[in-house]
Amino acid sequence: MTKLCWIFLALLAACGHCKNQIKIAASSVPHAEILRVIEPDLKKEGICLKVVEVDDYSLPNRLLAEKQVDANFFQHLPFLNVQQSQFGYQFEVLTAVHLEPLGIYSLTVTNLNEIVTGAKVAIPSDPTNEGRALQLLETAGLIHLRDTCDAYPTLLDIAENPYCLKIQEIDAAFLPRALQDVTYAVIPSNFALQGGVIPKHQALVQESADSPYANIVVIREGDSRPSLQILKQHLTSEKVGRFIQETYRGVLIPVSDTTPSS
Amino acid sequence: MSQLELVLHLVPLELLNTIYMVVVSAFFSCFGGLFLGALLYQTQKEPQKIFSWAYKLLSFVVNIGRSIPFAILIVALIPWTRWVVGTSIGTTAAIVPLTVAAIPFFARIVEGALNQVDEKIVQAALIMGSTRWQIFYKVLIPEALPSLVQGLTLTTVTLISYSALAGLVGGGGLGKLAIQYGYQRFNGTMMCITLVLLLALVEIAQGIGDQLVHHILKKRGLV
Repeated sequence: MTKLCWIFLALLAACGHCKNQIKIAASSVPHAEILRVIEPDLKKEGICLKVVEVDDYSLPNRLLAEKQVDANFFQHLPFLNVQQSQFGYQFEVLTAVHLEPLGIYSLTVTNLNEIVTGAKVAIPSDPTNEGRALQLLETAGLIHLRDTCDAYPTLLDIAENPYCLKIQEIDAAFLPRALQDVTYAVIPSNFALQGGVIPKHQALVQESADSPYANIVVIREGDSRPSLQILKQHLTSEKVGRFIQETYRGVLIPVSDTTPSS
Repeated sequence: MSQLELVLHLVPLELLNTIYMVVVSAFFSCFGGLFLGALLYQTQKEPQKIFSWAYKLLSFVVNIGRSIPFAILIVALIPWTRWVVGTSIGTTAAIVPLTVAAIPFFARIVEGALNQVDEKIVQAALIMGSTRWQIFYKVLIPEALPSLVQGLTLTTVTLISYSALAGLVGGGGLGKLAIQYGYQRFNGTMMCITLVLLLALVEIAQGIGDQLVHHILKKRGLV
């Protein structure tokens, strides 16, 4: 009985010894998994990280605005910008952590220097991924997009198509299956992995780590608590980078020290 | 581009795509369904045991076709689609799963329509020395024609709603616009216009079907 009492007291002490607590709302995979990696390290510095798993795309920002959490980790910058203009949130980006890159894949072509004129290209059909896919095709020099203020360009925003590519919009989960019917397919990495494209095939080109679509940790504007800066240090550490690379091989790439700017 | 400009820019082509997919798949499923439905009817009628097993097997295959959700059917048929039209994506490629989905649907309707034909007429034809084939195309088909036309109309209308999913595989059509622009991109104008056009297509298909049935019945002095 005495022993139990001691254990109980020790537990109480363990909880109480936290000077600072950071509550952070995060999607369960991979965001919360990444946060758990740094939880023990933060504890050593006297910071208790409390991860609240929320698998919803509008709730975490509301929780942050209502001060129910101190930070959230589930979105990318273009999404944050839309939410801020829609709901008038006053947030700032603490740091970018990882990117789920889109890649251009091909079964017939081995590099992008030999572009096939009139080739068929499949891209995802949902607004975000379609926009990202078109931007990636532009980065790869295959097409030129018109300047639109819209964050999510569509096929109609293609200004120049010098190689006369035939671009088709396809459901994202169908892309790995349609790969053999097209010359190029722009596939989000999670579907490429689940569809068996990764690791059999290398992407000809992927979105790079400085993509605006990196997943970011967001805090309230002007929240200058030092514990948040310590959280940032740990999230951009080599340990987290290694964890992301090893655990989510080919699907996620770590984004360290580059905070995307709006 | 404003919502209305987008509509004017995209709708005409996709309207044609929908009509193209529905007409071609209705055409093929008409023959496929008629054939399969006739098989179902005939195997059920024959007294020998082997036919009753054949009926059970056919019926099971038809039920498989009817039970698979259309989106899954599209994916399941990829290799077959590729073999038939050379690719698994695009509007033409969507016609293959549409047809495969509609055949068992129409086959059941055909089976029912043939079963409705009065047994006495069939027996009279048998007594007069008709072959099975003659009974089929000189007695059963003409007798069941009004229900068959009604069934084909129903199949066409079902195909119009199935064709909405062609967008999954890069096919066109009004349904794709409704999903990609109306639903995913919150374009209310697009949603309304595509839905009104789909309704118009259904009305037209149903109207043609009803007219045909009326015409057949009138010719026979039944109306």
